[in-house]
Amino acid sequence: MAHSPLHIVIVGGGSAGWMCAAACAQVLHPDRYRLTLVESDDIGTVGVGEATLPALRDFNTLLRIDEAQFMRETQATFKLGIEFRNWDRPGEHYVHPFGSFGQLWGGVEFQHHWMRARQRGLNPAPLEEYSCAVRACRRNSFDFPDLKSTRSTVYGYAYHFDAGLYAQFLRRWAIARGVKRIEGQVMDVALNGQSGDITGLTLKSGATIQGDFFVDASGFRSLLLGDKLGSPWEDWTHWLPCDRALAVPCERSADFTPFTRSIAQRAGWIWRIPLQHRTGNGHVFASRLISEDEACATLLGQLDGQAMGEPKLLRFRAGRRVETWKRNCVGIGLASGFLEPLESTSLFLIQQGIQDMLRLLPTPEARGIDERLAGEFNRRTDALYERIRDFLILHYVANRRHGEPLWDHVRSYALPESLQHKLELFASRGHVPYFKDGFFSRDSWLAVLFGQGLMPRAYDRLADFIPLEDLDAQLRVLHTRVATHVDDMPSHADVIARYCSETEPLRQVAMT
Amino acid sequence: MNGAVQDLVIVGRDAPVWLAACVMQSALGPAGLRVTVVELPDALGAADVYATLPALEPLHARLRVEEARLISATRGAFTLGKRFQDTTGQAAAFFHAYGSTGARIDNTEFLPNWIKARHYGLPVAFEDFCLTAAAATHGRMLLPDAEIERHGFTDYGYHLPAIPYAAWLRQLALHRGVVRHESQELEILMTPGGSDIAGVRLDDGRRVLGDFFIDATGAGSLLLAGRLAVARESWRDSFPADRILVAHAPPVSSQPIYADVRAGENGWLALHPSQACTHVIHSFSSETPNHRAIENAERLARLELQGVEIRAHDPGRRLLAWQRNCVAIGEAACTFDPIHGVDLQAVQLGLVHLLPLFPVDSDYAVERDEYNKNLQSAFERIRDFQSAHYVLNRYRGAFWERARLTPVSSDLLRRVGVFRARGEVVHYEDESFSIDDWQALMLGHGVLPETWDPAVDRTPPDLLKSELRRILGFIRRKVEEQRSHAEYLQSASAASAAPHRERRVD
Repeated sequence: MAHSPLHIVIVGGGSAGWMCAAACAQVLHPDRYRLTLVESDDIGTVGVGEATLPALRDFNTLLRIDEAQFMRETQATFKLGIEFRNWDRPGEHYVHPFGSFGQLWGGVEFQHHWMRARQRGLNPAPLEEYSCAVRACRRNSFDFPDLKSTRSTVYGYAYHFDAGLYAQFLRRWAIARGVKRIEGQVMDVALNGQSGDITGLTLKSGATIQGDFFVDASGFRSLLLGDKLGSPWEDWTHWLPCDRALAVPCERSADFTPFTRSIAQRAGWIWRIPLQHRTGNGHVFASRLISEDEACATLLGQLDGQAMGEPKLLRFRAGRRVETWKRNCVGIGLASGFLEPLESTSLFLIQQGIQDMLRLLPTPEARGIDERLAGEFNRRTDALYERIRDFLILHYVANRRHGEPLWDHVRSYALPESLQHKLELFASRGHVPYFKDGFFSRDSWLAVLFGQGLMPRAYDRLADFIPLEDLDAQLRVLHTRVATHVDDMPSHADVIARYCSETEPLRQVAMT
Repeated sequence: MNGAVQDLVIVGRDAPVWLAACVMQSALGPAGLRVTVVELPDALGAADVYATLPALEPLHARLRVEEARLISATRGAFTLGKRFQDTTGQAAAFFHAYGSTGARIDNTEFLPNWIKARHYGLPVAFEDFCLTAAAATHGRMLLPDAEIERHGFTDYGYHLPAIPYAAWLRQLALHRGVVRHESQELEILMTPGGSDIAGVRLDDGRRVLGDFFIDATGAGSLLLAGRLAVARESWRDSFPADRILVAHAPPVSSQPIYADVRAGENGWLALHPSQACTHVIHSFSSETPNHRAIENAERLARLELQGVEIRAHDPGRRLLAWQRNCVAIGEAACTFDPIHGVDLQAVQLGLVHLLPLFPVDSDYAVERDEYNKNLQSAFERIRDFQSAHYVLNRYRGAFWERARLTPVSSDLLRRVGVFRARGEVVHYEDESFSIDDWQALMLGHGVLPETWDPAVDRTPPDLLKSELRRILGFIRRKVEEQRSHAEYLQSASAASAAPHRERRVD
């Protein structure tokens, strides 16, 4: 340990900055890495009600965060999936659950058995009724998944929480573990004339901070990676034309859902995220197709509780920085790219970026930037962004909302080749993509493909091995097991009230 | 199901044609698919062996194959991996075992802990922390119990004498209802429009018609290349050898439970023990005259070789594995270098990718594109693994010098670069070789990572030391508990003599 510690400077104190600081403090040895985070109280964070993916639980586990305490402090609720309303066409709705549809029978995916049952006149129930997570959503129920046995179908869960409170929670956590917080606004970024590496920051106060490695978590401004290092921007607005969001919380309503709701609109979509103390709402829209005033009226007109304050406007563009790690700087969160929160991927992108960065980070002995490691980081980030992009585009292109400019436009454009091919495979035979890292999973693709009203022409003939009468019986048994499983679940509101209560914590439930 | 394929004709020889028949019949027979095999004369000798990877066992299980019977009937043997040794005196031997190495330490992965300890002077090689390699070195079979499963992952492959294995698969396929025709040669018949294959005419004049075809005719690729004119991409420049010598030698008294691969100055030689004999492969370049190659092989094998045969070998890939109504599997689609024994793995990949894309109606262009994309990727991953073995070698001799300079893909370059920099294995989609395999290969060839995952630096040095000792102790104890390979083969033989019971799988 003869080398002096490597100094990591994180710029920006939103969820991206504090998640990064906390993970670094947990994973890195304090004698080998020094951690500083610069944030300004004058600059607001985007932080609104945030919906997450199940992977966030891994992040909290890495930090050994107590779930009930975290949920109390961030006003969190449980999330079993996302309900999409009117996306296919007005009146239609479906749930993308964090869980499977049915089970593998004989190694053959469930959708083939289900499609076969339909084609052979067995009249199976709608696909979603073979998903325990979807049924729980429909009934506003929640229970912790049992990892040891499966009563019906498997599922996982994520959270909704107040992103501002989460950042504060992690700030306390990180500072208690040695992260140095500096309040101040970054005015200047100094570069080494030879290497082009960032050497330090100058704050508004005139103070300077020297560092070895920099994390740009400055949000849309992308002060270091974009402004200073000029990492090129790749624009995806031709595929994802929404470029504004209006966000406003409202009072909590009686409808306390264990899911995010996304409701398609004439020129965008509205999110609804239930928290313990209120409901987060927002309208994502394409500014060339609807005025801000009209978008605002649309949002306020659909709240299911009294608005709390004025809607806040956010501007963005879909796309990303081509080099997310450039020189001695990594962009985390919005500084590295933006994809609309249709599938709650914002914090997941942050988390994944942090995890990859930690594995590939320079060391005190090898401080210089190793292009092999930076290149690998960028390769992973590219792949992740592109997969999420394709999955988001899928929600738009497969619509039957004729006569509305946004929806007509997205139906007509040329898809990324990677997505076009997936759609054709599904249309032919219900084949869904598989990725080793499971992102997005087969079940996620299934949920959205079927949910958007696509129906394959045929099923996979591998499913034919089950005699039809056995298939009929198996489907009935599974359907009943899903129903009784969910019938036994308590309501989401009850679980939250008990689990997050300080006086009577509901520990045992989580263990069963 | 209008226009769905009803009649599948599989043309070819040896294990590939019969493995294809078994797999297609059991998976799609229930859907009404009729499977017919047109069998060409075999191209195998007593020396030929399939040195299989662990993935074959689950495929056999899906076919409800009883392992004990298979091993007993084919006089095959088990293998826990491959040991690579250098007779040119340059590099230490290493094991590529079919199992994981080490165990998590203080909630972090094993490899970065080992790299760190190595940089601080740990004298124990990576493979010494591999339970599977340790069992193999001690001649023990390794079957996981609960304790071993908690510790890590272990698996095995087989050495299956090729002639009896093909015969055994043939019997299984016929038993399951596959129809068989034999022919010395073929005429391939096209549909009236002339674009698709309609059937084959046998040497006795009979015609066998079908609406879909599998070409398992080997490197000649009679249907896909011969009739549908699919072009080939040569990988000749990526591999230093273009000749294979096969031979056999009497079984030695205590058969190793691994493949013994020995590098010599003019190529390498592998010994694959089975119960029948020791199967010998020597891979070399045609710059070495055949009589010299035989001498080299005898010197490297230190055995008296019988049935010596020398064949030309030309690695490369057909640009499309599926064209029109014909899918080529095995060597008809891609010929690999003989290192790591991937021939049957290639056949298996061709089949398991075909099953979920097998035509459901008469228009299957999108399935075909997907299949060709998947197979190209899967084949290139294997090629890169083999390629790494050559470019990373430290052996002496012109053969190996040339091998070090063969061109590599950008994917492999990145893979080796990132590993050298950090000990992190870049692992893509469609891999046949696991992260454990890549670690064993690159470390074995002396790529010691320059740095390690910083997450392991939090572990106190004393804890690291005691955990490393604990793992070594665990391995010693578990190896002692295992039965010898010979004992295990005997028990398999006894079990196979019991009344026939088909293995049940879900």
